[in-house]
Amino acid sequence: MSQRRSLLRYSLLAISLLFSTLLHAAERTLEGAYGPVTLEGAPQRVVALGDNALDAALSLEVQPVGTLASRGGDDVPEYLAAKAGDIALVGTVREPNLEAILMLQPDLIIASTELPRALYDKLSLIAPTVVPEGSSFQDWRRIYRTYAQALGKPDLADRRIAEIDARVAELRQRLPDGQQVSVVRWNPQGPFVMSSQLFVGQLLDALGLKPNELATQTKRPHTDILSLENLAKADADWIFLATLNPDGEKALEAARQQPAFTRLGAVKNDRVVSVDGQIWSSSSGYLAAQQVLDDVEQALLD
Amino acid sequence: MTAARLPLPTVLLSAGLLLSVLCLASLLLGAGDVGIGPSLAALFGGGDDDARFVVFELRGLRTELAVLVGVALGAGGLLLQAATRNPLAEPGLLGVSAGASFAVVVAISLGASAGTLSLAVAVLGAMVGCVLVLLVTQLRGVGDDPVRLVLAGAAFTGLLTALSSLLLLQDQRTADEVRFWVIGALAGRSPDTVSWSLPGLILGLLVVLPLVRPLAALTLGERVASGLGHHPQLTRLATLLAVALLVGTATAAAGPIGFVGLVVPFLARRLVGSDVRRGLGVAILLGPCVVLAADILSRLLVRPYELPVGVVTAFVGAPILIAVVRSHRLPSL
Repeated sequence: MSQRRSLLRYSLLAISLLFSTLLHAAERTLEGAYGPVTLEGAPQRVVALGDNALDAALSLEVQPVGTLASRGGDDVPEYLAAKAGDIALVGTVREPNLEAILMLQPDLIIASTELPRALYDKLSLIAPTVVPEGSSFQDWRRIYRTYAQALGKPDLADRRIAEIDARVAELRQRLPDGQQVSVVRWNPQGPFVMSSQLFVGQLLDALGLKPNELATQTKRPHTDILSLENLAKADADWIFLATLNPDGEKALEAARQQPAFTRLGAVKNDRVVSVDGQIWSSSSGYLAAQQVLDDVEQALLD
Repeated sequence: MTAARLPLPTVLLSAGLLLSVLCLASLLLGAGDVGIGPSLAALFGGGDDDARFVVFELRGLRTELAVLVGVALGAGGLLLQAATRNPLAEPGLLGVSAGASFAVVVAISLGASAGTLSLAVAVLGAMVGCVLVLLVTQLRGVGDDPVRLVLAGAAFTGLLTALSSLLLLQDQRTADEVRFWVIGALAGRSPDTVSWSLPGLILGLLVVLPLVRPLAALTLGERVASGLGHHPQLTRLATLLAVALLVGTATAAAGPIGFVGLVVPFLARRLVGSDVRRGLGVAILLGPCVVLAADILSRLLVRPYELPVGVVTAFVGAPILIAVVRSHRLPSL
């Protein structure tokens, strides 16, 4: 009798020990921008605030329940729309709607690095909120890994990053040497040059492509609007014209109306490529990286 | 009516001289690397290809535009002040410019592409703005108080600006496109802007010509003007039509540029007194001077970038507005 009871006791103890170690394995603490965040288990209802958070979730096979309209748009960024499917919109990048987020009853919120502290504090009351450390100048892979940890998919993230690294290495071999590329957003008063330290700049650098000089100098995500007199400073062997307008050709047409633009070396050599500004100037992540590499491959090799 | 302070020919001559100097400066100075020396060389047929392009195409175009917009806004401001008999009446402050740019924004969001159409639409919008100004001046206690009229105009402008921004944001435009229709700029306008906006300016000035005399009579008071055989209401309406043509043209060409219509008549009055006939000649020369000076500043202040010229005119114009309001006796028109 007492033997059986002690056996039961021991087995219970063993089971509970086993459980607690399992639980412990699933419980993880992340270092976020506003302090440590402790998470448990695999999140079921994720709200992804920002294009890069949504990109990370979708590429890591997590289907978020809510997200924000992309910068300059009123819907999910186009390149993610098919994968995101029927997803609830809970505000814009500038103004996430807290009530809409609360209604979704999320168990995890992943947000972009720019999320302000005040908003973080409020969101944290709704669900554990992960804001990666750093800014948009941070190595995109580090931000991506932070999201992956939050989503409980660190191994898959490592594989995804390895895929990108391998593709970059392979593409780099085939690309012509010493080409300079300039990533520009056009507007009628003149263009501005995107910083080379952003996500796309990091990828281009890894591909062995040289950035435009202004792009390396600016300490902000992009320069001010360049005077048309200084348009030559935006020139390079290749110009990627990022436009938030879904019709890229239209934006290119508008740019061509400006005589100063048609004088650029890249324009004369027909080496201007219009690309999706939602990817090239505001997003980051695995899916965005694949698209950027597609664009570069298509432009420089075809 | 204040007496003339300086002889008109002297003022006209020096204003003309100043205008030529500023035109030249506008061709020689810029945010780019083409300095005064190379620019001069390009102007006299030398220089390299780039310098010639910058001087003739880029600076040349915006100089032409600045002159056009300056004439329109200078004359428009003076006329609006004469018609409302209010020294603070300014197209930008009273909502005429905002009406014009709002109309263009509505047209754009309905699918119109810029160009000739935007001129017609902007003039129409400016007309609506003018009619509202006219209605407000008929209101008791508002129309005869210069500051209240400006307040009413500011509220109207605020409303239209907000609506413009709203429409453009709805339309997924970039922030800079939004900014152009809220704060005007001379840079980067398409080369044919001058050719389609010039007719608007000329038409506006033609409408003004027969109005100068009746307007001058109007400053003597409605009764005297009627006694002299003029029709005050008709004169006012026709003047506001001219203002709408002028301001609509300027806005379609360069977006709303504030305070030029306030500063120029203010300077003109200081120089030659408040007579409309004398003032108009001076305003037509001084308007381009003010816009050119502001545009040159806008290129030099934040090199290698540029400010929209509307920002610079606001910087210079707002203190002058305060000075005019604070001066103990507002000059009566």
